[in-house]
Amino acid sequence: MSSFNALMEGFASALTWSNLAFGLLGTFLGTLVGVLPGIGPALAIALLLPITYTVSPASALIMFAAIYYGAMYGGSTTSILLNTPGESGSIITALEGNKMARRGRAGAALATAAIGSFIAGTIATAILAFTAPSIADLAIQVGSADYVALMLVAFTTVSSLLGASQIRGFIALSIGLSLGLVGADLQSGLTRLTFGSDAAMEGIETVPVIVAIFALGEALYLASRAKEKGWNVIPMKGKALMSRDDLKRSWKPWIRGTFLGFPLGVVPAGGSEVPTFLSYSVEKKLSKHPEEFGHGAIEGVAGPEAANNANAAGALVPLLALGLPTSATAAVILVAFQTYQIQPGPTLFLTNGALIWTLIASLFIGNALLLILNLPLVRLWVQLLRIPRPYLFAGIVTFALLGAYAANTSIFDVQVAIVIGVVGFLFRRFGMPITPLILGLILGPNLELQFRRALQISAGDYSTLWATPLSKILYIVLFLALSAPLISRLMKKVRHKAIK
Amino acid sequence: MKLKQGGKSELAFVGSLFLLGAIIFWDTWRKVPPELNLTISPKVFPYGIASLLMFLSAALAIQVLRGDVATPEGEEQGAVIEKSDYKTFGLVLGSILAFLLLIERAGFVIAASVTFFGITVAFDNKRHLRSAIGGTIFITIVYFAFTQFLNVQLPAGIFERSK
Repeated sequence: MSSFNALMEGFASALTWSNLAFGLLGTFLGTLVGVLPGIGPALAIALLLPITYTVSPASALIMFAAIYYGAMYGGSTTSILLNTPGESGSIITALEGNKMARRGRAGAALATAAIGSFIAGTIATAILAFTAPSIADLAIQVGSADYVALMLVAFTTVSSLLGASQIRGFIALSIGLSLGLVGADLQSGLTRLTFGSDAAMEGIETVPVIVAIFALGEALYLASRAKEKGWNVIPMKGKALMSRDDLKRSWKPWIRGTFLGFPLGVVPAGGSEVPTFLSYSVEKKLSKHPEEFGHGAIEGVAGPEAANNANAAGALVPLLALGLPTSATAAVILVAFQTYQIQPGPTLFLTNGALIWTLIASLFIGNALLLILNLPLVRLWVQLLRIPRPYLFAGIVTFALLGAYAANTSIFDVQVAIVIGVVGFLFRRFGMPITPLILGLILGPNLELQFRRALQISAGDYSTLWATPLSKILYIVLFLALSAPLISRLMKKVRHKAIK
Repeated sequence: MKLKQGGKSELAFVGSLFLLGAIIFWDTWRKVPPELNLTISPKVFPYGIASLLMFLSAALAIQVLRGDVATPEGEEQGAVIEKSDYKTFGLVLGSILAFLLLIERAGFVIAASVTFFGITVAFDNKRHLRSAIGGTIFITIVYFAFTQFLNVQLPAGIFERSK
């Protein structure tokens, strides 16, 4: 039980007074930003990154785990009370939870979401703690060629499964890959796509790109659609509590959602959209009150919320064990690691073992803090939804620009952010998904590195790329994912059924 | 052939993506890699990505011409796409550019306050004086929180000498 002992040590180092204070602050700020309409967890984390720049790695990680869970929780609050999901994983929560709120059951919806997230998060983090090290052990044997195949699979699934159109997903990916090319090539020193700019030599930073494509892109897009009316906050009556009957109807969906969400987070299945929709249709099938679905069924909030949280924890497995992000949120977390000079991957548990166990312990603590802090404070968060739109956008944009600038105190980064902001606007206007772009930018350079490494070892023999059994399997998966129009048609059916 | 609504602007967008691919291709072509014994030239990836981008945008252009016009985010498929509001858009973009121009010349507090105020104006806030004062106070608090408590450096700009 070495994992167990390591985890206990992680708890010991996470449970100091100052770290707990950072955890509380993180929970507070994460919820605060996550609750703001239109901000999903990926952007919330990216916006709060500058805060963690100067604290010690252990404190930063615990704060960061708290921000992560806080942002997820805040997002579901907004979905329920305002019907503005900040990310695809909250669409179902918005759909069903908002209907509950309209029927005066906002308190029960918020409670089942919060407790369900807590339970799913705790179970999923426990599975993570005991599987990630063994996966990392296996992953040490994964060669460069296998990595190439893995990354190609991740690219394909994320580009094919998100959004309505496969081709638009791949275009988004290619633009991300192009951004990743900018700068001096590490092996040869050849400068690529710098067009004479010295600042571009070091490549494009990921933090400005992420905050810009989410925050500036969204602000510009909403500006172009400014005629749209404001929001309709549903007033909350009573406390965020569940009745005995609610609890009876919620606990099974929580557990089922957890076990649907976690494995689909481990394999690159294109983020949290698939598991939440699946959980919703499963609950609808199993429910004794199928007629309530679409009009505010508590199972329809409990299951998908649990699936969403377990999915997020599941995505940490490939991230920690392989260094492979499979969703926008995981990509932002990877960037956060890199700002503390930590490179996730198979050797992570060896080189930074103590820190990783602190992080995993922090996930447990953050999750618990959230439940203790947020159910009583829910009224405070509801007040935040009353901030007038002009102030809200002004705050988001200035914070995004601050984040872009402060990462390296560089004016070039601000220029990049503004260009990317306009790109983000165009992506929204023309229905292109954003996640493939982020994955392309972050993984592109890594893909090139592994590709060259594999071919250097084989002295230029390309058949090395599909020589191992793992890579053969991965290319079959890749082929299947490419035939995703079929799968996506299936998804549409599931979605259609779910919404009906 | 008549394009669906929004088709023309999407074609322009897709066309510019094709152009981007072409620029990457051209930039790669004109560079001379150093004489090193590398198995894989540093040009392989750029060529590949440029070709992919050009191929995909050409394919998308054909799709658009056939009537598969993009659905803007948050709209139902087939909904009438409303005309973009360029005045608000321009104001927001202008406020963002103001930050770029002012951050190192005038300092964070002034740059961010101008941006903040500009965006509240763009999003149709009527109480200008209130948002200007409120925004500046908010930005000043943010500035001190970051520089004093979090040790994140932000330019003081014109206030620097008075210290």
